[in-house]
Amino acid sequence: MQKNTIISIIISVAIIGGTLYFVSDRTTPSGTQSQNVEIRDGVQYVTVTAKGGYSPRTTQLKGGLPTKLIVKTDGTYDCSASLAVRSAGFQKILQPTGEEIIDLGTPKSGEKVQGVCSMGMYNFAVNFN
Amino acid sequence: MKTLTFHVSGTHCASCKIFIEDTLNEQIGINRTNVDLKREIVSIDTTLDESQHKLAEILTEKIKHNGYSLSVEKKTRERKDNGVIWQALPIGLAFLALFFIIQKSGVLNFGLGGTVTPVTSFIIGLVASVSSCLAVVGGLVLSLSATVSQDKISDVKPMMLFHGGRLISFAVLGGVLGAIGSAIGISFTLTAILGIIASVVMIVLGLNLVGLFEKNLIALPSGFFSFFRKVEHKTIAPFLVGVGTFFLPCGFTQAMQVAALSSGSFLSGLLIMTAFALGTLPMLALLSFGSASFAQSKHSPLFFKSAGVLVIGLGAFALLAGLAGLGIIDPLFNI
Repeated sequence: MQKNTIISIIISVAIIGGTLYFVSDRTTPSGTQSQNVEIRDGVQYVTVTAKGGYSPRTTQLKGGLPTKLIVKTDGTYDCSASLAVRSAGFQKILQPTGEEIIDLGTPKSGEKVQGVCSMGMYNFAVNFN
Repeated sequence: MKTLTFHVSGTHCASCKIFIEDTLNEQIGINRTNVDLKREIVSIDTTLDESQHKLAEILTEKIKHNGYSLSVEKKTRERKDNGVIWQALPIGLAFLALFFIIQKSGVLNFGLGGTVTPVTSFIIGLVASVSSCLAVVGGLVLSLSATVSQDKISDVKPMMLFHGGRLISFAVLGGVLGAIGSAIGISFTLTAILGIIASVVMIVLGLNLVGLFEKNLIALPSGFFSFFRKVEHKTIAPFLVGVGTFFLPCGFTQAMQVAALSSGSFLSGLLIMTAFALGTLPMLALLSFGSASFAQSKHSPLFFKSAGVLVIGLGAFALLAGLAGLGIIDPLFNI
């Protein structure tokens, strides 16, 4: 009995560890300026794709500029279609295919805008610095 | 009038006390039944003349369908239960790991372009039933079904009612969404709160299935379980839970609700949501009727404990995700 208990605990720990390793994020924030950012007429546009999660997960932006967030969907039916960006007071179930433009105002440096899907399992962040 | 005491076996839950007391008190000639769960003793006042051994047999007949039996001598209870949890823990965790790995692998993220037809929504339903929605809806179904089959062996009526309620609510509410258009805003906060309630229920039922309450490690008021017992007996309750799943947070369900909303007519909204609910049915039916058939097999203790471990994990995941969805805590997961 004692032996079985020990074996069981070892297997359990291995499963938990393996899963955490597999599920955890290993994406390192890449570069300083992200490719999904475009500045037109003094307005900063950042594009995030929503489908089976959000990509890119984190985006670095300059603070102090009027900023708009574009969320693109393309045949998206999963949780990432129901998006909440709380700091912008935005909550909506996006159309399966299309673009949604969300006005983020003019965030200052050091601010962080976070988007979460309604179930909370997908998220993305836009950092201003 | 004489007072007799019996040893009772099979009392695995706090609600068993209420059930046995109610059942025995219905018998003519028996008053003031009292069940002592801790000592596993039942005492009754009786005016009947039968010998104590005979009475034990008669009364066991009344409650043996629910897995209890009375005896005059204390039965040496097989204590194999202790080892079961150690088998159940890796099994439950393995299923939990499988769930997360499927989510993370991205196999479920295929695109379905174009307009939503009942056929595509059926396929989306099939996908949704193994997706992250499984954490909330599937976990709830598993925990409720396992709890029901643990208490009442081989009763599939509540499960039929649950699935019926789910199908009917999806059909009717889908039709309403189609007919009214944008009039009903399905509130994010409401669904998130419902999701959190569901995950708390899952965790509590999961702990119960694992058997944590059984040994009085955690003392819950027996009122909590008598509430659940009453809910199980009521026809309406499983039906209402089924109806409620329409509002549980699930991205796929919400996307289908939007599709039904923009479909423009009662019939097309009804068809889309019904097809979606039918798509989710095979997996959910497997979970609930699977629990019922496992409950009768000789591996039932292992099944209940494994299911408990799995449900606790899913419940904890859904709870943390739900809190993140409400913006209360920072998101911990990104699967």
